[in-house]
Amino acid sequence: MNRHGLPLRRWLQCLTFFVSLSVVNFGYASSHREAPLISNDPLADNTDVYAFRSPDDPNTITLIANYIPFESPEGGPNFYTFGSRVRYEIHVKNRANTPGDDITYRFTFTTTNEDPSTFFYIRLGKQNQKTTYMCEKSMDGGRTFRTIVMNGIVPPNNVGPRSIDDKVVGLGTPYETLANSAIATTAAGERIFCGPVDDPFFVDLAGAFDVGNFRPEGNNVNAPIDALNRFNVHTIAIKVPINLLQKDGKMVSQAANILDGDFVIGVWASASRQRIQTIFKDGDVGMDGNYVQVSRLGMPLVNEAIIPIGMKDGWNATTPYNGEDLEYAKYFTNPELALYMDDSQFGGAVPSLNALRIQQKSLGSFDFRNGKPGLAGLRGNAALNGTALSDAAFGAILLPDMKSPRAVDILPIFYTGVPNLAPYQLASGKAGNPLAAGKPFINNFLPTLGDMLRLNMAVPVTPRNDPKFSHLGLISAAVLGLTDPMFNGTRDLQFIPNMDGFPNGRRLEDDVTTIELQAVSGVVLAAVGLWYDDFIPGTTASPVTPKLLSVLGFTSGPTKNDTQFRAGFPYEATPWRGFDYPEKARF
Amino acid sequence: MKKLIYMIGLLALICQFPSQTLASSHREAPLISNDPLADNTDVYAFKSPTNPENIVLIANYIPFEHPAGGPNFYTFGERVRYEVHVDNNAGTPGADIVYRFTFMKTNEDPSTFFLIRLGKENLKTTYNCERSMDGGRTFTTIISNGTVPPPNIGPRSIENKTVGLGAASYDELARKSIMTASTGERIFCGPVDDPFFVDLGGIFDVGNVRPNSGRDAVAKFNCHSIVIEVPVSTLQKTGKPVAVASNILDPDYVIGVYASASRQRIRTFFSKGDVGMDGEYVQVSRLGMPLTNEAIIPIGLKDKWNAVKPSEDLQFASYFVNPELALYMDDSQFGTAVPGLSALRIQSRSLGAFDFRNGKAGLFNLKGTAALNGTALSEAAFGSVLLPNPTSPRAVDILPIFYTGVPNLPPYQLATGKGGNPLAAGKPFINNFLPTFGDYLRLNMAVPATPRNSGDFNSLGLVYAAVLGLTDGRFNGSTALQMIPNMDGFPNGRRLEDDVTTIELQAVGGVVLAAIGLWYDDFTPGTTASPVTPRLLSTLGFNAGVTKNDTTFKAVFPYEQSPWRGFRGREFAGAKQNSTNKAERVSSEPVGKLSVNVLGNPVSGDDVTVEIRGAKGENLEMDLVNSRGQIIGHQSVDEAGNTETKTFKLGKEIGTYFLRTVSPTERNTVKIIRN
Repeated sequence: MNRHGLPLRRWLQCLTFFVSLSVVNFGYASSHREAPLISNDPLADNTDVYAFRSPDDPNTITLIANYIPFESPEGGPNFYTFGSRVRYEIHVKNRANTPGDDITYRFTFTTTNEDPSTFFYIRLGKQNQKTTYMCEKSMDGGRTFRTIVMNGIVPPNNVGPRSIDDKVVGLGTPYETLANSAIATTAAGERIFCGPVDDPFFVDLAGAFDVGNFRPEGNNVNAPIDALNRFNVHTIAIKVPINLLQKDGKMVSQAANILDGDFVIGVWASASRQRIQTIFKDGDVGMDGNYVQVSRLGMPLVNEAIIPIGMKDGWNATTPYNGEDLEYAKYFTNPELALYMDDSQFGGAVPSLNALRIQQKSLGSFDFRNGKPGLAGLRGNAALNGTALSDAAFGAILLPDMKSPRAVDILPIFYTGVPNLAPYQLASGKAGNPLAAGKPFINNFLPTLGDMLRLNMAVPVTPRNDPKFSHLGLISAAVLGLTDPMFNGTRDLQFIPNMDGFPNGRRLEDDVTTIELQAVSGVVLAAVGLWYDDFIPGTTASPVTPKLLSVLGFTSGPTKNDTQFRAGFPYEATPWRGFDYPEKARF
Repeated sequence: MKKLIYMIGLLALICQFPSQTLASSHREAPLISNDPLADNTDVYAFKSPTNPENIVLIANYIPFEHPAGGPNFYTFGERVRYEVHVDNNAGTPGADIVYRFTFMKTNEDPSTFFLIRLGKENLKTTYNCERSMDGGRTFTTIISNGTVPPPNIGPRSIENKTVGLGAASYDELARKSIMTASTGERIFCGPVDDPFFVDLGGIFDVGNVRPNSGRDAVAKFNCHSIVIEVPVSTLQKTGKPVAVASNILDPDYVIGVYASASRQRIRTFFSKGDVGMDGEYVQVSRLGMPLTNEAIIPIGLKDKWNAVKPSEDLQFASYFVNPELALYMDDSQFGTAVPGLSALRIQSRSLGAFDFRNGKAGLFNLKGTAALNGTALSEAAFGSVLLPNPTSPRAVDILPIFYTGVPNLPPYQLATGKGGNPLAAGKPFINNFLPTFGDYLRLNMAVPATPRNSGDFNSLGLVYAAVLGLTDGRFNGSTALQMIPNMDGFPNGRRLEDDVTTIELQAVGGVVLAAIGLWYDDFTPGTTASPVTPRLLSTLGFNAGVTKNDTTFKAVFPYEQSPWRGFRGREFAGAKQNSTNKAERVSSEPVGKLSVNVLGNPVSGDDVTVEIRGAKGENLEMDLVNSRGQIIGHQSVDEAGNTETKTFKLGKEIGTYFLRTVSPTERNTVKIIRN
């Protein structure tokens, strides 16, 4: 049964750890310390991570890690740049049975002032805070590093026409040229870009964080506002040939099928600072000691909307390895957000989420609300044989106890990836039994029990101009697999558009806020045949009930970025120009 | 006095050899912009408009706070020492009075990711304020457990009685957070609309200044403010109230103000995100006069500037006696390369003789001559500071404005009554002389407040007082000391309304020299009729792009406006499941059809005014688009009234424009013709 190569012993260790979760460790700061939330250290604040198959170069994967939130395009005279003395890293895992990173990309930035006698950032062809970088790569869990880019160029901020284009007072080069010529190519074939870009993320922060005051797209009361519109961010983008990421060096043409389990990677990014900072005389700052992780991000919004405030700093300081994330598993098996989609809890208090209501009697019996058993009542039942939920497979993780209902869906989405095994197949062809074999739609299973963005690199790209391309990612693939006659007639493995979308990796276009809210409200359960409460087996004609349609019609706010993406690497748009970017309300 | 002589010697030395000692290579100097909690953005000090015996001191921190910047909304930092320093006596070392603020945060409900939920607040911040009256040797706690109001997240967090705090309004929360200290000061610490206004996008694009058409880069951002309203008698060096001042420029009523933030010397990251702070507090940010560290100190020295005290400022004096900005107002330097500043040209032969361009002599050739007797420039007075050498022309105006304040002595009196000799006695207009040789915001507390609703009130501050003193019949008839409106404005202190960016650029452009009779080059003595020449008018007509804040100020303490609310407009409620109705309004009111009426179309001026009806209670977003599809103006209304009247700036370009108005339910586009 152990077909995923994880030694049983390690599984058991993990399980023991997992079961001990109920006793949560609140090991807290002693009183002489403060935990300053990374929002106070913008240079080291990892805002988003993306991993997707490159739409214009399908033999490669693009990995993106963004840093420094809310960069005002005109934020001078000290414009933003990557921090020197901050260690920026993108971590890739391609095997579950190795202890740490399988591949690490590490970036070190250096800032120089070409003309320290002026207060201007750019003047007379000279640039201050001019930034270059070195990229190193490790293939052995960080023990040894090889330099793959030396003296890489970080383009300047897009200050304005006089600073950038003007040949006398400025740099005399169009911004697009500056940005394109900053793309580096490594000997092994990676292409790398580090620099400012339009922040590709979009979210109505005001709606989300005013105790759940969401404003769905198209509502007739109050239009949503993208809080990040017209802000820039600093990006690290790497386009890597798939064979450099695949654990055995295979090319995608060698994949057994489009869900080949050997092509799964897990990705996360981090920023680290040296342990000790000392402020010397005259504004000099000394850094000493080993590097300590101060920020990390794999799956989006985990630390914003899943980890409670008291644990956020701790989350940022830990890695997804060695069971470190298990401490936080309870926030996934009973997510706080679920309380606001449950009328027996705070559902009535958050009317903007009325469209989302978690199954409490799916198929007449299964209750997935926080604290309820979910599918745990089936544990050990012969009906589970041959499924991922059997004790011979992963029952101990997915059905740990009678009050962790979302260990069956939310936890694996964030902590292990989802295997191509029943029940994690679409209801198409299941004939009403969610535990039966159905139509495959995902396999990004890499059971490391930690938060990573997991991507099956064998899944083909959905062209961005395909009419079926959807920012709902895998949810849209599930909808097509269940309802589109091109796909819902058989249980055969087919490429369904958007199978390359979040949470199978993350494309720049994916509306992850909406997808995650839909997921918390049980849409994945519905997709595998654990329908909403208004489907009564044997009575209701179609499982596509009003409740399911209500969930699918929900959006959390803006559904796309405030500008277009580029067709070629690094795909993100060039940064807004400080002097004259078109203004738009940000809240 | 011995100290003064020592300082003067040092100053003379430093003006010649600018020191550029930089960080050693194993260190980094991380510019305070990377530590927003400790980043001091602005300092204000002004006579209270509500009480002539009070002074208002304001220190703002944390730039660019996004009103919707959740879930970890901004607040003051723990383990950051915030201080407001007041010097009232040049004879004592350093500041005489220090207000020190220490903030604490608690999470009332650490189990949620929301900042506010069910009446509980996370990162809830309180503070202690201590005061020292002996230059920081001893402190007395004057407020314990002061309240910092939460960020203005939105209606559910603030007003909602079930899920939020159940406050009557955000203003009420802010009002309740005003504390009275045991020593009588009124104090407020909390988020406010950032009162500053500046066209960063223009200015820092190598001086791409856009007079009259700049963009306020800090519009719709909040900051965190420390506001203190304190009796003059507490700040005056011998405890006197304004009532006993000898006159409105009594030199005994001058204070110098600066603010700072300090962190402990050593920061250590422990496991699990814990951070330890050890060692003594080290200053990491400071601010007295506005824009010094943005537009005067070069990038290589910005960190150092932030780290030192005003008493160590002499090392930076070379950047004031020959300011970089002056290069862009001088056609023999980079003047032609910066057309945005073409309205400003420094005197190169004032009165046919005096050249104030960088590196030139200025008034130095008068040094030691009998003509200077009785003036501040004589050797018996401050000649060695103000005329240090033949290559520091602005030691006579820019340096004293920033480093010593300006005494009420010739030549620092208005040209009114001088009979053409700038060295003669003229009409007094300033006395904020406190010769500590360091960057302080200096205020003469005896000067009365100009009422904010007065027709004479002007955001050009003291520059405008000078204009009135030179040209207004109420003031230009005599050399008598009179209260000229805006004598209480920057650089005599700084009011929230003062357009300090414009004033400083005008000052570097030589306007203060002109005010005291060192006229611009196009005034030829004996020939030109009026010294109010085209060049002077050009300087006075210049502005740096944005001349006022993006919202109003409050008439009463703390004067700054409540912070922008992250969530604007009405709450959406999703359709209840099992019900057939579609998404519904929280309160459903009939809303008419959206209509936009252009007042006078085609338009002939630079502005167009429109009336919008049919969107009562709704959020409105309006974009003005030019014929190339560029959005050239944007306005929004949280909740529209029956009729909304809005004015947009079209600019000079003739042709077709479109005004696009969007409500949550409707959109409307009207064409506007500019003739």
